[in-house]
Amino acid sequence: MSNLLSVENLTMKFGGLTAIDDLSFDAKNNQITSIIGPNGAGKTTVFNCLTGFYKPTNGQMFLHKEDSKISLRKYTDFKIAYVAKVARTFQNIRLFPVMSVLENLLVAQHNELMVASGYSLYGLLNLKTYRDKEQLAVDKARYWLDIIGLTHRADDNAGDLPYGDQRKLEIVRAMCIEPRLLCLDEPAAGLNPKESAELNKLLKFIKTEKQTGILLIEHDMSVVMGISDHVVVLNYGKKIFEGTADQTKNSKEVIEAYLGVDE
Amino acid sequence: MEKKDIIQSFKDSLFTGLIALALFGPIVGLRTASKGEGLYITPQWGIVFLLVGLCIIGRFLINLNSARKTEITFFSKFTSKFSAITEDKAKHFAITAILFAIVFPFLPFTDRYFMDVAIMILTYIMLGWGLNIVVGLAGLLDLGYVAFYAVGAYSYALIATTFGWSFWICLPLAGVFAAFFGILLGFPVLRLRGDYLAIVTLGFGEIIRIILINWYEVTNGPDGITGIPRPSFFGLPFKRSPDEGETSFHLFFNLEYSTMHRIIFLYYLILVLALITNYFTLKIRKLPVGRAWEALREDEIACKSLGVNPTNTKLTAFAIGAMFGGFAGSFFATRQAFISPESFTFIESAIIVAIVVLGGMGSQTGVVLASIFLIGITEMFRDLEQYRMIAFGGAMVLIMVFKPKGILANRKPTILMHGDKK
Repeated sequence: MSNLLSVENLTMKFGGLTAIDDLSFDAKNNQITSIIGPNGAGKTTVFNCLTGFYKPTNGQMFLHKEDSKISLRKYTDFKIAYVAKVARTFQNIRLFPVMSVLENLLVAQHNELMVASGYSLYGLLNLKTYRDKEQLAVDKARYWLDIIGLTHRADDNAGDLPYGDQRKLEIVRAMCIEPRLLCLDEPAAGLNPKESAELNKLLKFIKTEKQTGILLIEHDMSVVMGISDHVVVLNYGKKIFEGTADQTKNSKEVIEAYLGVDE
Repeated sequence: MEKKDIIQSFKDSLFTGLIALALFGPIVGLRTASKGEGLYITPQWGIVFLLVGLCIIGRFLINLNSARKTEITFFSKFTSKFSAITEDKAKHFAITAILFAIVFPFLPFTDRYFMDVAIMILTYIMLGWGLNIVVGLAGLLDLGYVAFYAVGAYSYALIATTFGWSFWICLPLAGVFAAFFGILLGFPVLRLRGDYLAIVTLGFGEIIRIILINWYEVTNGPDGITGIPRPSFFGLPFKRSPDEGETSFHLFFNLEYSTMHRIIFLYYLILVLALITNYFTLKIRKLPVGRAWEALREDEIACKSLGVNPTNTKLTAFAIGAMFGGFAGSFFATRQAFISPESFTFIESAIIVAIVVLGGMGSQTGVVLASIFLIGITEMFRDLEQYRMIAFGGAMVLIMVFKPKGILANRKPTILMHGDKK
């Protein structure tokens, strides 16, 4: 399987504090790569560097396309999602609460719809070309809503959904931009065991059916060990271990630093 | 109710009366009047006692009501029923309102004064709808909206007086100028939100006004611009005696000359402009850019993570909002035929923001109701002279007590997957 993302010697310093220290790892297409580690290990900072919210002090991040590779450092802000097609979700859910579920999914398709609406001109004239494109966008939203079983609530406000559904909605909203890399920041936080199981199913579906690699930050070990193909363990901004889920479970350093032992 | 409670609430009411006396005594009770050479104070104790008495009785009634445990819900019931009706029958309501607006000039009780008030209300409705794009949809609190109104009015006045072009050419130009200023303001404030944005926009409004006062060579400073051409009815001016080789409106249609013709024409002009603003806003809200505005209001970081360009999105909101402000400004200029910086003070911005907020952020019908309520009430109490601002304040307090989110605060989704369920 081909490499999708390679992070090389990534370093991020905030003043005197080194949040990420010379981190290198790879993530592959159609695989779930988990980043785990204790609180404050720098996991979310890695995400913020990848998705353009921070500019790393040092190091390179490459996203591989068929035979070329693009440097993520060049893109900041909204261009990460728009040009490089890296999508993310947030630790604390960031939906548009007073907009409907469907509208949330349409905002994610903003850039295609903007072009389709002729930068609002065709839309104002109510041309058929735009109406057809809009219908396609709605169909795409319906496709994803069918998968997470929320089609019947498409016209309700996103903020009125139960917590677990909001988590899932945020993930499919990110999928609506058709990303090559999907970064999920603690998607299982606050979910009950049944909801976690549903989440696992959804992530497995995305991984196998879509041309998308998943990067996952998670504390819930049932999720991490259940679905990860590859695990990267961070502690104090340094990579202390990298391997498959089984290798990670049995690694002495990881148990010492993070997992602990059963009494 | 127990006797103790009654005594308690009676004491409370008397205390309220005391506060009312302290407030109304000097404000209402002492009135300066100029007689002959100097100023004299004329006391008006009658009104003071009336007001204080009203406060005491009102407070006592409120106390009685809260002691009943079950509050009188008449008012809130009424308003929620009202919003339910306007929501369910939104289409009927809008059509009725528009039909009423169309026949209004020909109703038997409509006179010059009513028409003037109606034109003023419609101007504020249009400004409210324009600002609704910036504040209601994009969530950018703009306290300097009057600046764009001023830019529109001055561009119209300067172009029309300098080049003598007709209203229908100057109007779009004024809109373009205002939109340009909207972008000019938009750039430095892109990174600001909430209170900080409000302060900067407030400053921008003042800058424009001060430039208008001081740039004497161009704007004629505090003296303002006079002799702004009136709009014509497709080339037919509203004049009693037209110039050589010109036909005026009343001659062409064989009517008795009346100044009302022009007033009625202005009324329809602003009605059409306002309806265009409304149609445009309703339409663009359902387009990707409109949804992006609302998404930006909800969560800017999430927007960026989805690839929405916040810079362009904000600038379009500023530019389009400013453009409608500019249209309203050129209408104002042509209606008054005279403009000066005095017409564009901060209080105008404050009133427009108040209309948008009290109407319910983002609600188009709410803006109409709030404009009629606020401007109508201040006009109704014009006889009270300076106290009419008390009526204005009272109207605001009433809305905020009974409808803290604005008169009509319900948002409808811009697109439905399952269609209307009703």
